[in-house]
Amino acid sequence: MAIESEKKETSGGASPAGSASLNPLAADPELLNDFILESREHLTSIELQLLTLDQDPDNAEAIHAIFRGFHTIKGMAGFLDQDAVRDVAHEVETVLDLARNGQLTITPAVIDRILESKDYLTRCMGELESSMQTGTLVSPAPNVVLLAAIRSLSAPEAEAAAAGAPPEAAPLPETPAVLPVDAVPLPREPVVFATEGLVELAREVSPQAAEVSVEPSTPPESTEGPRAGAARPTGARSIKVDTTKLDYLVDMVGEMVIAQSLVRHDPDLAIGVKPRLGRNLSQLARITDEVQRTAMSMRMIPVGQLFQKTARLVRDLSRKASKQVDLELFGEDTELDRNIVEDLADPLMHMVRNSVDHGIETPDERTRNGKSPTARVTLKAGHQAGQIVIQVSDDGRGLNQTKILRKAIEKGLVSADAQPSENEIFNLIFHPGFSTADQITDVSGRGVGMDVVRKSVLKLRGRIDVMSRPGEGTTFLLKLPLTLAIIDGLVVGVGGQRYIVPIFAVREMLKPPEESISTLQGRQEMAMVRGSLLPLVRLHQRFGVKPRFENPWDSLLIVSESGGRHFCLMVDELIGKQEVVIKSLGETMANIAGVAGGAILGDGRVGLILDLEGLFGARNSE
Amino acid sequence: MNTLTAPPPTSIGSQKQDQRSGKYLTFGLGKEEFAIQVLRVREIMGIQEITAVPQTPAYVKGVLNLRGKVIPVVDLRLKFGLPELEYTQRTCIIVAQIVAQIVAQIESRAEKLMIGIIVDGVSEVLTLQAADIEDTPDFGNGVETPYILGMAKIKSKVKILLDINRVFTAQEVERLEVVTGSGA
Repeated sequence: MAIESEKKETSGGASPAGSASLNPLAADPELLNDFILESREHLTSIELQLLTLDQDPDNAEAIHAIFRGFHTIKGMAGFLDQDAVRDVAHEVETVLDLARNGQLTITPAVIDRILESKDYLTRCMGELESSMQTGTLVSPAPNVVLLAAIRSLSAPEAEAAAAGAPPEAAPLPETPAVLPVDAVPLPREPVVFATEGLVELAREVSPQAAEVSVEPSTPPESTEGPRAGAARPTGARSIKVDTTKLDYLVDMVGEMVIAQSLVRHDPDLAIGVKPRLGRNLSQLARITDEVQRTAMSMRMIPVGQLFQKTARLVRDLSRKASKQVDLELFGEDTELDRNIVEDLADPLMHMVRNSVDHGIETPDERTRNGKSPTARVTLKAGHQAGQIVIQVSDDGRGLNQTKILRKAIEKGLVSADAQPSENEIFNLIFHPGFSTADQITDVSGRGVGMDVVRKSVLKLRGRIDVMSRPGEGTTFLLKLPLTLAIIDGLVVGVGGQRYIVPIFAVREMLKPPEESISTLQGRQEMAMVRGSLLPLVRLHQRFGVKPRFENPWDSLLIVSESGGRHFCLMVDELIGKQEVVIKSLGETMANIAGVAGGAILGDGRVGLILDLEGLFGARNSE
Repeated sequence: MNTLTAPPPTSIGSQKQDQRSGKYLTFGLGKEEFAIQVLRVREIMGIQEITAVPQTPAYVKGVLNLRGKVIPVVDLRLKFGLPELEYTQRTCIIVAQIVAQIVAQIESRAEKLMIGIIVDGVSEVLTLQAADIEDTPDFGNGVETPYILGMAKIKSKVKILLDINRVFTAQEVERLEVVTGSGA
């Protein structure tokens, strides 16, 4: 039953793409938006359930859940004349119906096909969304090939061949994505075979399966959309809130805290505060603090969502590379600020990709080295000392220090006779364009991933540590602040301007004696602090502001750390310490070196928050 | 998604006229009077303390605090190349909402921005009919004015209608040109 893609299947009632619908409801943007949103939610859940089913193919609960998901999508699609979506959902629904009635066994091939369908539907949602933004609605064209492929899953020959081969967590080389399963010549064995016999048979047969490459599925785009993470999977009652509203609320609460503080510390009130007024003000302060804590907590979502996305990636990558990988997740309930979670998605994917692609060996190599053929990738999240710690580790080859050092010398990052420490060698992998991969696969090897990871982590004001043992594996440790929205800052003054220095970067402050200041070639200044010579950065110079004091020994030096290096920032004076809400300066001012954002100070004026890495980095490029 | 796009200077059409009619806020800059669509104006306030931001073009004065939101402030005088004046009591900041093309890395997208625009003083809100509006004369010497919607003649005084989106879209292009070193 060879199926050509040209043959048009009419059973789906496919309508030509882009046809104007006679149904006025079908073009209603609000309905369509709701359709896209709800479908995306269902699709996310479908994927989770599919991965569960992959590990446990007899899980009736999962089959039902997936069935319900596609059924709902089919219904909505039909209502809105989205035929391409409806048809695919219908076919998958048919397959699942057979499965839940015991007439079809769930094999990895079946799961693959359904995952493909899920990916296709996700793409359709994306297409619909973009086409709506252009103003003219263009519905996706029907995917005849996919429809045929799904249908073939329930074809009798394919079913008999698939039945009996026990599903393994370790992937067999993939069944071809495009050719129907029965195009592969599988011998028709009577079902009476003992299980081991079939396993042998399957193993023998599969190497001869047609060589078709399966496209690595791109990690599903964030299907969260504009919905807040307020919905919890634990079945707790919840409500969906638009994230813009939530962000606005958190913003305003932050301002409320400041305004309340202004009232409380108003000089007019300082004179003879009556006890009752004093009590009320304290009460107000307490309540405001509580409101703020609650508002901040609303933006927290469990990191488990993020981890689940990697599950799909690991599955696809390991199948593609013919490796066996188990993914272990810990601390999925750990809560993070929603923004952090969103920004972590990419780095996490990169790290996992690197692990599976480079770190983890093939099952043969592992057995040869006395390891179990199934490798393990572990993701762990937890709170520690006021920070979030996320661990990504694998038990693969580990980082090859010699190779890294050699590559680094080749690229001129390190001089040939340098003796870098183990830590320094490991940190080399974060350089842009750095890769010790001998070949570039389409997944990695270009040397882009780890650089992105480092930048993202820095953007989140965190740090990343690397630990590795040859032959045993590699561990990445990410340490991130609990929240991005508020920063503890030192308010400093230069000229008439005020700036905020993030406290986490400050090591100490001092008024240097004149003899501790020296210059290099008349241009670069240095200060001797506790026996170390540290470079001096004049903030007034960097920002073009006229300072009150020209000489470092009349000014204040703030010893700061950025990227592992220390330097001294010269300012006029220290004005105070304040917790501030970080305000973005907007896209137009996003790339100003040395400025991370703005904050509203105690008196209502805006103070610029310093980006120390930018200040120090700019200096190096002079 | 109602972005008003300025038509190319050479085309003339009656639909275009209808798009330009409506209520405008007029304000002064030097000896000239300008007008922007009222729909784009969020509020008007007196001049207040602006925090300077380094490494921005001269006409970007900095940022200020608008009820908890930090918005950029530009000086329209400087943007149009007029000599800088000291701010007086009449000087106002018009807070406008614009749709700007943000060119971020490789993609460009439209984003709604609030910006404060410093002007010499605001005058009044006028309702302009299509009949009052004329196209910008072609000065013939290659002067491009994509951000000028047209001219209005009210009581024998000429008001220049600004497409406030375009004033700052051109800015993005300028910045790019400066950064990439291309363009005059």
